[in-house]
Amino acid sequence: RLLASGSLFPLSCIHTSTQSLQKIGKWEKKNRIVYPPQLPGEPRRPAEIYHCRREIKYSKDKMWYLAKLIKGMSIDQALAQLEFSDKKGAKVIKEVLLEAQEMAVRNHNVEFKSNLHIAESQTGRGRYVKRLRYHGKGMFGTMKISRCHYFVKLVEGPPPPPEPPRTGFEQAKEYVQQLRNRTIVHTL
Amino acid sequence: AVLVLVHSPLPRLRALLQRCWGRLERGLGPGVFGGQSPPWGAALAVQGPAVVPQGIDAAGEGSALGSVVWMAAPKHRRTIEVNRCRRRHPTKLIEIKRNIDVCPECGNLKQKHVLCGYCYAKVKEETRLIRKEIYKKEGGPLNAPAVETVVLYEGEKPTEKDEGKRIIERARKRPSWFVQN
Repeated sequence: RLLASGSLFPLSCIHTSTQSLQKIGKWEKKNRIVYPPQLPGEPRRPAEIYHCRREIKYSKDKMWYLAKLIKGMSIDQALAQLEFSDKKGAKVIKEVLLEAQEMAVRNHNVEFKSNLHIAESQTGRGRYVKRLRYHGKGMFGTMKISRCHYFVKLVEGPPPPPEPPRTGFEQAKEYVQQLRNRTIVHTL
Repeated sequence: AVLVLVHSPLPRLRALLQRCWGRLERGLGPGVFGGQSPPWGAALAVQGPAVVPQGIDAAGEGSALGSVVWMAAPKHRRTIEVNRCRRRHPTKLIEIKRNIDVCPECGNLKQKHVLCGYCYAKVKEETRLIRKEIYKKEGGPLNAPAVETVVLYEGEKPTEKDEGKRIIERARKRPSWFVQN
């Protein structure tokens, strides 16, 4: 278990030397951090659940569009959008979200399974494999069979309101402020 | 450098391939073949300039260069910034659907103009079982009678309206969505 603050006791982290498990990724380890108990006056820290799926047989660029779609939505809205999307990755992401929701309720002390929103959703490149693609007349090309990873972070609470777009007036105000902040250097 | 792994049946084609690979790597255009050996029809998937189709001998520039046709090719590498601007343009992003509702029968999600998937699956399954019963009754293909069919569930008797009709029995309670006339 990783402690977020406080001293590390020398015997608490015992590494197992079994080679059965492959390297545990960084995203999976994020679920293991334990915060010290909160003081009575502090606001409640919202629960964070990290989940991912590795080596999905899909392209990372195509998966990125789906990840961008559900960024910042509540989990119910995200599941609705993914259910009626025609993409192959939509089915995979829906399974990942349902798994994460179940994990949240079971292990991470989340009270209402609908009270989650998607804070981060990203894709990563998996292991590519090169294969021959046969063309006519004995020609060939090498194609790469691409796989991707999908990472999601669910946070308890309603989704944050979307940021209002930057108006021209605000940009002009910032520009004027920048001009006013200029000083003359190396003088009195 | 790309290895020639394919053992093509024609040794001349293979020699041609090896010569042309060398030429490609040195950056010259596709060379002139004597006109007898087979031309390259398909474009290659490996790095190299585009291929010359065969019937361009008349459009050549001079006999010194050979029959060369200028094909469109990218001049510079597109930077990742330019690529990102194109790939992440709002028209290319997936739009969020605003036509998703809740089915009043089962509570699952459904699109407004489409039947509910869950209810449709239920109906499909029941229809499959009814069809099995029909098949058992008919006994073989092309035995459909020329009368109407009525499906009766447990505890139902045929009414006067169902006089001359064929009756199919199903051994279960009538489902709520299958209204009896």
